[in-house]
Amino acid sequence: MTAPLEISPVKATPAPEAVLTGAGQIEGRSLGQIAWRRLQRDKVAMAGGITVILLVLVAIIGPHITQSPNTYHQNLINPTFSRPVGAFGGISHAHPLGVEPVSGRDVLSRIVNGAQYSLLIAFLATFLAVSLGVIFGVIAGYFGGWLDAVIARSMDVFLAFPLLVFALALVGVIPPTAFGLSGNTLRIALLIFVIGFFNWPYMGRIIRGQTLSLREREFVDAARSLGARPAYILFRELLPNLVAPIIVYSTLLIPANILFEAALSYLGVGLYPPTPTWGGMLSDAVTNQYFQIDPEFMLVPGLAIFITVMAFNLFGDGLRDALDPRTR
Amino acid sequence: MNRRSIIPLAAAGAVAALGLAACGSAVKTATPSQVAYNAGNTSVVNPSAHKGGTITFNNSSVPDSTDPGNTYYAHMWNMARLYGRSLMTFKSCPGKCGLQLVPDLASARGQVSADGLTWTYHIKPNIRFEDGTKVTTTDIKYAVERTYAKDVLPNGPSYFALLLTDSKYPGPYKDKTPGKLGLKSVDTPNATTIVFHLQKPFADFDYVVSLPQTVPVPQAKDKGANYQLHPVSTGPYKFQNYTLDKQFTLVRNTEWDPATDRNRKQLADKIVVNLNVNADTIDNNLIHNFAHIDMAGTGVQAAARAQVLSSASLRKNADAAPSGFLWFTYINSKVKPLDNVHCRRAVEYAADKVAYQTAYGGPIAGGSIASTVLPPNIVGHQKFDLYGATTKPHGDVAKAEQELAACGQPNGFATNMAFRSDRPKEKAASTAMQQALSEAGIKVTLQGYTSGKYFTNFAGVPTFVHQHDLGLSIGGWAADWPDGYGFLYYLTAGDAIAPAGNTNIGELDDPKVNNLFAKAVATTDAGARNQIWPQIDRQVMSQAVIMPGVYAKSLLYRNPNVTNVFVHLYYGMYDYAALGRK
Repeated sequence: MTAPLEISPVKATPAPEAVLTGAGQIEGRSLGQIAWRRLQRDKVAMAGGITVILLVLVAIIGPHITQSPNTYHQNLINPTFSRPVGAFGGISHAHPLGVEPVSGRDVLSRIVNGAQYSLLIAFLATFLAVSLGVIFGVIAGYFGGWLDAVIARSMDVFLAFPLLVFALALVGVIPPTAFGLSGNTLRIALLIFVIGFFNWPYMGRIIRGQTLSLREREFVDAARSLGARPAYILFRELLPNLVAPIIVYSTLLIPANILFEAALSYLGVGLYPPTPTWGGMLSDAVTNQYFQIDPEFMLVPGLAIFITVMAFNLFGDGLRDALDPRTR
Repeated sequence: MNRRSIIPLAAAGAVAALGLAACGSAVKTATPSQVAYNAGNTSVVNPSAHKGGTITFNNSSVPDSTDPGNTYYAHMWNMARLYGRSLMTFKSCPGKCGLQLVPDLASARGQVSADGLTWTYHIKPNIRFEDGTKVTTTDIKYAVERTYAKDVLPNGPSYFALLLTDSKYPGPYKDKTPGKLGLKSVDTPNATTIVFHLQKPFADFDYVVSLPQTVPVPQAKDKGANYQLHPVSTGPYKFQNYTLDKQFTLVRNTEWDPATDRNRKQLADKIVVNLNVNADTIDNNLIHNFAHIDMAGTGVQAAARAQVLSSASLRKNADAAPSGFLWFTYINSKVKPLDNVHCRRAVEYAADKVAYQTAYGGPIAGGSIASTVLPPNIVGHQKFDLYGATTKPHGDVAKAEQELAACGQPNGFATNMAFRSDRPKEKAASTAMQQALSEAGIKVTLQGYTSGKYFTNFAGVPTFVHQHDLGLSIGGWAADWPDGYGFLYYLTAGDAIAPAGNTNIGELDDPKVNNLFAKAVATTDAGARNQIWPQIDRQVMSQAVIMPGVYAKSLLYRNPNVTNVFVHLYYGMYDYAALGRK
């Protein structure tokens, strides 16, 4: 016998296995958003990032609101010992970080003005290094063959180059007026060139490696088989996938370049006096033996470099972790 | 002196300034004195005749050479007297008394011929080298010949080649005559007489023969540059050993006869000189009695300065000694707009002399503010102050602006300033100048050059100076001997302007100054000649080609265990030939 299929009048509601309580619609998130969320959760990286932003603001706005970094305050200097009157390098309301020995120039204002030059040189040098590194890295990685061989070998040559010695020689040899520039403008350009031009292979090798693996991927094959030209593949297929390593290594290169600029200033091939730079202040502290009569003076630019380098490094590390899907 | 680091060329010219006799009466050599701050500047501290012990010298560097004929460092000229005697020397006594020239090997001052071209010296008989052989005037002639061999012995001054006839003499190492005594301008008629023939009258010749280059050298013992390892002694000490760059030891020379020598003592048994000791370590060694004298004699470092001056027990063992240097800024009289004297005077007025002084180390370790070119320890120094250096030491902007208006630059002007980038004090002084001048509207751009080529390639090359608009250049100067000619000639005489290695960087070619120099050379009377130096000084200052900064001082620390310590004003440091041990 057959009986009509009886359908239970009870309405069956499908029960989900898990229920999302609370509000919220589920949305798709872009890679950038995922990275940003992850970065937000990394408190150390955020602290680094905020410090970096503050430093940049100080460098841009600071010089306009602090007192002149070059004004002498001879009345604040004990002439017999050449050191500032008062405790901790002459700290006072007017000079919160004290004054420089011998001249009595305001340390805070020199630090703030120094930030401008130190960051400017570090940023532009990094930009130069990254641009060169990306261009040559992508070309070497994508085209391969003899082009790759030439570029890779020249990167090795650059990496083996005694950079500091070369920089010292070059900056020493260039006369005060050259290439239509003179004075500090020439020095800044020269420092940017030296630092940037000799740091590009680090970036270049990373980009080349990334490109080598990317160019074998299916989407690149697909684009190629559809007849895309190399320029299209380079700019539209490869470059967007290289943004993450470029950003990460840029943030890690900046602190290295700040230190390099400080080292060059310290060795006497920095900007012309009285322009303040952090490395130059450290250099003064050592060559004029300020560290013996007024150790606090050395502490300030030292700390400034330390904090800046630390902030960039922490931020860069956090950014790398956030952008790399393999690290969780 | 220590001049090689200041001037790569032979400094200073000459003229006989013998006007020092005036201070001869005020000698108080043996007056016992208290141990007190600055006591060593005016009196002998810890006078004693006690013999024995070792004196340890420390040097943060190495001497250019220990060969008396091959050195240009003031401390070596001082040291060389321990083992070498020149024809003339400076009297061993504190204060201005030490600027008196007295005979050493010579029995009296030189006798000059009527035409001023021939100088004759007789040496004391019975002076012996350390090996017992008698010193003859041929040994002195040979020493003079060695100064011509710049290829072998490059360091010392070149006065003999400049002043004597036969200036083409190639030096003894290329001399083909038997005995290598071919220099025609020096005669030795007998073993105790030596005669010098000059190209032109040169009244300061006694000063020239006081240089350590007239210390006799036995030709048979000469080893060229290596003679420094064991110069044959005529003084109270002789070399025992010498490890280059490390240490040398001097011991008593038994052949030295104190009866012939009133300017040296032989108290300690031994003198040990340790080289290449860290400068701060030297200061600690002095304070803690591990060493007795800092050989360089340029004063303690900043750390020890603070330590010494802030402790009463250490301070009483310190002397702020005049070093003989003037630290100053050249103002070029050819670079526009400084070719106008009013613009130069504006610089003189605007400069902050206190900031300049602080840059060099302040009133004690740096020196006192200068208002003249001639420092007080030079014969012919007269105090005057044309630009308010002492009355308005922070600079007089109002006067500077008046001068700028007179110069036709009421809004100021821009120029460049050269300094030696490897000298922190000069960098600080240039920055101070830059800041002070900016207040009067004079915009200065600083240009640093290495000190090694400062005179040969940069500031000392007038064409370079003109091309690069170097209106201002920093400088420092000490004379080879303490009179007006010796100090001023190479800084201010028109004839001293050279295409390279120029030391008259202000390029002053003022007929009045040039005539005064000519007059001075022709004036045989020392007293009259010494009246000319302040006139030159005044004229140079009114032309404003030099902005005097400080009359330099060095803060010296005298170890209380050393006896007979005093500052010798000519050397600007302790007299090394007088010291003994407790």
